[in-house]
Amino acid sequence: MTEPDPCETCEELLQPYLDRELSPDEHVAAERHLDGCEFCKRRYRFEVSLRRYIRVSASERMPDGLRAKLAELREVAGS
Amino acid sequence: MGGAEPETDGRRIASAARDRVRFEEEALELADQVYRVARRLVGSREEAEDLVQETYARAFRSWRSFTPGTNLRAWLFRILTNLNVDRGRRIQRSPDFQPLEEGDYYLANKLAAAEGEQALDQERVVERLSQDGVVNALAEVPHDFRDVIVLVDIGEFSYAEAAQILDVPIGTVMSRLHRGRRILKQKLAEETLS
Repeated sequence: MTEPDPCETCEELLQPYLDRELSPDEHVAAERHLDGCEFCKRRYRFEVSLRRYIRVSASERMPDGLRAKLAELREVAGS
Repeated sequence: MGGAEPETDGRRIASAARDRVRFEEEALELADQVYRVARRLVGSREEAEDLVQETYARAFRSWRSFTPGTNLRAWLFRILTNLNVDRGRRIQRSPDFQPLEEGDYYLANKLAAAEGEQALDQERVVERLSQDGVVNALAEVPHDFRDVIVLVDIGEFSYAEAAQILDVPIGTVMSRLHRGRRILKQKLAEETLS
């Protein structure tokens, strides 16, 4: 059997690593590889910025007036 | 002791009224967050506004079924996602196909191929993806996957909360999130780098 390519393994571990869902052994394995691999390190950092950017880009402020409409629902419900 | 009962009833009514007002105020404080997530679960601003209003109308009617001290945000989203499924308002109807997805490095590899490996080190590299591109790419993710991404990555719910809201096992949340983020990256690459 051939050893899996460490970078492929890291690609698999990227999401659970950032979500802090790895087992302690997997975490150590990922950190050890990341320490020595610029390729994966760049991609991990990229993923962190990407997630933040997605959250910011996809967040739309509540339209003016909606809060007041919701508060009115409360008064109707209370009658 | 004839006078004791009305007074007790009076107190009970007053206390229920206070609980109700507190419930309503706490729910209204969450309106921004509720809208922000609702907006990405449906296709338009109008639909999102309707969905949020229906959610609050139902929440205010059924406030007694909320247990004070438990997670109000998750409780509201349980109502919201149920209403959304009932109304068939989600952007796409249940797809039976299993979408193909690339690995987690797909988008970064594409950027690196276009701009060079060093480009990934730049602080603002993600801003090459337009904000509209992000929104469109997210809308193209099949809804079972998108719902989980929206709850966890935009609504900042935990896996356990998302599982409770969507009424699915936590393992399902994790696998949908994992695959959904990969699909999203593939869509982002198609949407913004083509």
